[in-house]
Amino acid sequence: MSKVRRLVLDVLKPHQPTILDLAVRLGDLEGVEGTDVVLNEIDNKVENIKITLEGPHINFDEVAAVIQESGGSIHSIDKVSTGKELIEEANTPQDISARWMR
Amino acid sequence: MKLPSIRTLRKYHRIARVGEIARRYFAMNAFDGVLTILGVLVGSWFGNVRDAGAVVTLGIAASFAMGVSGFYGAYMTEKAERSRSLAELEESTLCNLRDTDIGHASTYATIVVSLVDGFSPFAAAVIAVSPFFLGDIIPIETAFYAAFALAFAELFALGMYLGAISRDRMVLSGIKMVTAGLVCVAMGYALGATA
Repeated sequence: MSKVRRLVLDVLKPHQPTILDLAVRLGDLEGVEGTDVVLNEIDNKVENIKITLEGPHINFDEVAAVIQESGGSIHSIDKVSTGKELIEEANTPQDISARWMR
Repeated sequence: MKLPSIRTLRKYHRIARVGEIARRYFAMNAFDGVLTILGVLVGSWFGNVRDAGAVVTLGIAASFAMGVSGFYGAYMTEKAERSRSLAELEESTLCNLRDTDIGHASTYATIVVSLVDGFSPFAAAVIAVSPFFLGDIIPIETAFYAAFALAFAELFALGMYLGAISRDRMVLSGIKMVTAGLVCVAMGYALGATA
């Protein structure tokens, strides 16, 4: 079975614990080699963040448990990469026309 | 039930910002404790109570009452406030936060703040009353003078502590607290003179 190598999540969480604490906990997970957390939006109670994880074998259940323990909820899984090597999405003519329309 | 590690407790301490609240409650309630026991001492002096055992009983009973009142009052208040904050946050996150870091931090904060609120007046009062424990060894008047001195020393120390926190002049802050104690003694003297 192929392993998850890259994961991008959209997460809503309270201000505490901070994204610093969350990023450290995610980075400590086995199978995760790199963590990136970006703040997208913030209001007086909660913040919306994008979490990017990369590693040889990311365990989604463990990642979800850490996020839940920190009071966060996963709104969506925005990107997943699996397999022996990491690849980027391929450009198609439809992407070019959609970009033009935007 | 597994006890959380020191590292986890430090995390909860940081999340719930317990330090700021605990400092405030400590100073406020220790001040209450000292002034209450000062009232007991003044009342005993002007009421001609010259039995060390009686003063100890009065003082310790008052200390316990303040401790229990402080603990329960803070526990109920803090629990109610934190439950409300958590419920408001749950409305925003749309998930149950009870079993999360922030939920556990709220519980930790409630317990710590309650302990500080209960222990600080109790300890402050017992320290002031402590010379009377030597009632069999020292004269009763000496015990009274020592108790008053300890109470004023505690007030001065509390004032300096608050001055240090607010980065204000510590000695001036200490003098302000001692003034409150002098007002208490003056009121007791006036009461004793008119009785």
